[in-house]
Amino acid sequence: MAYGGYNNEGGGGGGGGGGFNVGGSQQGSSQAGGGSKYNDDTLRPVTIKQLLECKEPYPGADLMLDGQSITQITLVGQVRSVQPQTTNITYRIDDGTGLTDVKKWVDAEKADTEGANTFAPDTYVRVFGRLSSFNGKRHVGAHFIRAVEDFNEVNYHLLEATYVHLYLTKGPPTTGDGAAAGGGAGGAGDSMFVDNGAGGAGGVPARVLSCSKGAQNMFSFLHNSPGGNEGLNLAQISNGTGMTTREIINASDELLGQGAIYTTIDDETWAVLDY
Amino acid sequence: MEGTATPRITCAYLNSYVGKHVIVVGKVVQLRGDEAVVDADGNITAHLNREAHLSPGNGVQIIGKVNPDLSIKVLTALDLGISVDYALANTVVEISHQHRALFAYD
Repeated sequence: MAYGGYNNEGGGGGGGGGGFNVGGSQQGSSQAGGGSKYNDDTLRPVTIKQLLECKEPYPGADLMLDGQSITQITLVGQVRSVQPQTTNITYRIDDGTGLTDVKKWVDAEKADTEGANTFAPDTYVRVFGRLSSFNGKRHVGAHFIRAVEDFNEVNYHLLEATYVHLYLTKGPPTTGDGAAAGGGAGGAGDSMFVDNGAGGAGGVPARVLSCSKGAQNMFSFLHNSPGGNEGLNLAQISNGTGMTTREIINASDELLGQGAIYTTIDDETWAVLDY
Repeated sequence: MEGTATPRITCAYLNSYVGKHVIVVGKVVQLRGDEAVVDADGNITAHLNREAHLSPGNGVQIIGKVNPDLSIKVLTALDLGISVDYALANTVVEISHQHRALFAYD
């Protein structure tokens, strides 16, 4: 029935962004189940460490990551070595979190054009593919590989992978100002947005930009006040920022954890840690 | 797999990674022979290898080993051109230390 529709692009995987319909790796398990498997397909951004550590609930089952079975994945990494073989080209890809083999099958008909199109060691590439196990060894079967032209895509990918991980483990990001009351863990979710980081380059270290709004307020108040070596105490911060005692304590815990401030004459007096 | 991982760090994290391999993304501030100063949320001295080709003002990705004096011995250096968002790179370092499940081996 509907299954036929998924096959019509059979060998066209290498063409471009859209051609991910590959009949290869899934045949054994999914044929009987029909099209439903493909309906669940997602294209998930991952780090290589996640691929190395993801688990198989039982032998032969789909590999699971954060409670979701992994189907299509995309990763960004540097080529460490290239091994051209008769049927495929095997790349060792390194993204700083681990190393994995990526196999790009060579299309015999296109061999002439694709043969020249290998990626040199040390170039950054984006890989779209499927994770598979073969003889107990995991590799990524690549549908498509392209060179990364803008280095920022590497960082973007890592943030996207983190975002998806947090979305699946902690739920959608909370919006609005509720984050300050949420304390450490809640604030981390909000911090995922890149504009957060790019916006405030005014002397605030990057590690503070990833804190909750309350913590950032408190830090910039401490940072901009001439408090001397002793810093400022709870009452002064409360007067200056309009934050409640509770909010300041939460914010200070967060900032202390980040190593952005330190306590001075007593537990309720803080100064900015500069180095 | 722990041995093959190279954590992304900035200047502030050098202390915790002495003797380990790391990735640093920063801006080349100064070139002096086989030594370079790279700004990654703070200045880092890098001892270059022969293959490294850096240009002052450009972004660079360094993979290397952190020396006890907190300089870095470069294994590979990759020139990144001028359009590197350093605030983004530094944010990624912070994120990668906060969400260790995705990036780090403890």
